[in-house]
Amino acid sequence: MNTLFALIALMIFPGGLFVLFAGLVYEWADRKLVAQFQNRIGPRVFQPLADVIKLLAKEEVVPVGVNGFLFMALPIAALAATLTAALYVPVVGLAPAYSFRGDLIVTIYLLSVLTLCIGVAGANTADRFSLIGATRTLTQVFSYEAPFMLAMLGPAIMAGSWQISEINAYAASKPWLIIPQVIGFLVALVGLMGKLELPPFDAPEAETEIVAGAMTEYSGRGYAIFRIAKDVELVIGLTLVAAFYLGGIGNPLEFLLKTVVLLLVTAGLQSLFARLRIDQTVGMWWRVGALLALLNLLVLVGLRMLGWLGVWL
Amino acid sequence: MEKSEPKKFVVPIGPQHPALKEPGHFEFEVDGEIVTGATARFGYVHRGIEKGAETRSWIQAMYLLERVCGICSHVHATAFALGAEKLAKVTVPPRAQAIRVLVGELERLHSHMLWLGVAVHEAGFDTLFMYSWRDREIVMDLLEGLTGNRVNYSANVLGGVKIDVDDKQRDDILKGLEVLEQRAQYYLKVVTTDETFLGRTRGIGTMTYEQAELLGAVGPTGRASGVKRDVRVEAPYAAYPDFPVNLITDTRGDLEARFVVRIKELFEAIRIIREILDKMPTGEIQTKMPRRVPEGETISRVEAPRGELLYYIRSAGGDKPDRVKVRTPSLCNWGSVLTTAVGHKLADMPMILSGIDPCFSCNDRAAIIRRPDQPAQAWDWESLRLHGIEYYKR
Repeated sequence: MNTLFALIALMIFPGGLFVLFAGLVYEWADRKLVAQFQNRIGPRVFQPLADVIKLLAKEEVVPVGVNGFLFMALPIAALAATLTAALYVPVVGLAPAYSFRGDLIVTIYLLSVLTLCIGVAGANTADRFSLIGATRTLTQVFSYEAPFMLAMLGPAIMAGSWQISEINAYAASKPWLIIPQVIGFLVALVGLMGKLELPPFDAPEAETEIVAGAMTEYSGRGYAIFRIAKDVELVIGLTLVAAFYLGGIGNPLEFLLKTVVLLLVTAGLQSLFARLRIDQTVGMWWRVGALLALLNLLVLVGLRMLGWLGVWL
Repeated sequence: MEKSEPKKFVVPIGPQHPALKEPGHFEFEVDGEIVTGATARFGYVHRGIEKGAETRSWIQAMYLLERVCGICSHVHATAFALGAEKLAKVTVPPRAQAIRVLVGELERLHSHMLWLGVAVHEAGFDTLFMYSWRDREIVMDLLEGLTGNRVNYSANVLGGVKIDVDDKQRDDILKGLEVLEQRAQYYLKVVTTDETFLGRTRGIGTMTYEQAELLGAVGPTGRASGVKRDVRVEAPYAAYPDFPVNLITDTRGDLEARFVVRIKELFEAIRIIREILDKMPTGEIQTKMPRRVPEGETISRVEAPRGELLYYIRSAGGDKPDRVKVRTPSLCNWGSVLTTAVGHKLADMPMILSGIDPCFSCNDRAAIIRRPDQPAQAWDWESLRLHGIEYYKR
């Protein structure tokens, strides 16, 4: 019975198939919202699924000069990591399938594996666009990863726990954490956009400069899997931010409402700005993002030690 | 993977690349993200239009030349018509000249808005791209209402214009201009105040006045660097003597200045169109043009949206032009791209490239590449012809 439950949790719900489809739906919602903001019509609801099916059916060309094993394995590793991360977050408002002390840190690392895989995949090929894209991807990792982590630690410190389910329960029982931690919320949300290489942080895949960046040589299955992995990461990221800062996630309705509101905000940010150059991205994160997140964290730690957290204690 | 001594890392852009709407080939040598050298190669869309014009009658040649460029088609036909009329000593009625200018300025509106969309897309600012192309539909509709076509309007005939402007069309244009003026105000505000966008344009691709003069930059590209040059002002043609144009220049010479100059030219074009509609001369719109044009040669210069467009036309007295030479403004501006590119980041390249509003297909003429192992050679007509035959035999 236990094995059966574990299998279902891994393959169908809440991990596996369910997050795959949720990811595709969220990708559609994101594209549709951005299109509407830009005065376009946007894709139909099954477009992301159709794209994926089409890509899966296509021939995967392994270019000359790459390590074939890595080329094939990296997309799968990326998807596996994001799907594993899905087991530790309260997707759909249900308690996470697995939970242990410190799973927050594991989840954050699992979410970084995708970016790392994309970077290595780009560096693996001999293509010049891919190489530049890989350099930019990995440069970008170093800029947003630390602030994003710091922003995620804020709620953890307030809750006094490193366990996602406990933080979620804590956030649900108190007034929304966005109120004392506006900075942390913004850094987390924008960091998520950086992770997913959404505009204006899409310098690693700026099509007008380097075609598709690190993904240039990928076609067919590998590209489809990378795309699904990104979609899954979008769902998990939104869930995490909503659970931590928007008063926790306790039921499916709450999950839907809160993540869609967050998606609305990210779609708005995506259509508001021009693409940042990679040096501008790094400069912005280290000069503003990291410092603000650090300040946010220090103030929190200070307040907690002094016991001035008021209702949030 | 290469393991030999460190080579120059060259990023090829084109002939097929998402940043390019037309085929052209650029090679950027980069050191990390910094560009240390740039070369360009064109000729992928050479169509033999100049030669084609020699085998057609004067009237047919005008329609052919109108298709040199898909964006600024009207100015090409105007330049050719003005030159041919000068050779034939035909005086075109003032109303026809005014309509030529009217269509020309509407075309400038549509061309600049198209450029605005493309240029901001290169910066990854897709929202403004979508907005400007949506609003460009207004002027496309106006042109369609006026001439029946969205591109290649065929408004010109030798000796006048084909279309007249009636009251309804006049009202439509005035109504459309109202909207366009508001939108242009909005664009001006966005490109001069949006922080992320300014980060991509301010101080990028700066070309000083001296450089612009040295490299012979024309049109808005030169005017953004303070070059006070505009054919409509210096040598007014068609109806421009009656409807004078205010020269718009900027002194900064960077990408932001090019945006500002082009958007301000939108306002100027709107002002000219209103003035023309207000004081439209009455009378005929065509005059008789002889089938054979007397012997002679002339140069016809007009201001295309991208800068000075030059036509050299020679007639041998027959019903076909003896020689037509086209020099499009993009050709004059390439030097500025390759010069200003060095020292900038790779991410700025698409912006700098599109900053001159390039039109690759228009400037593709036959070119001879001199190889280092070959002496410089002059090709006469016969050897060129034989080369062509040999080339296509393969």
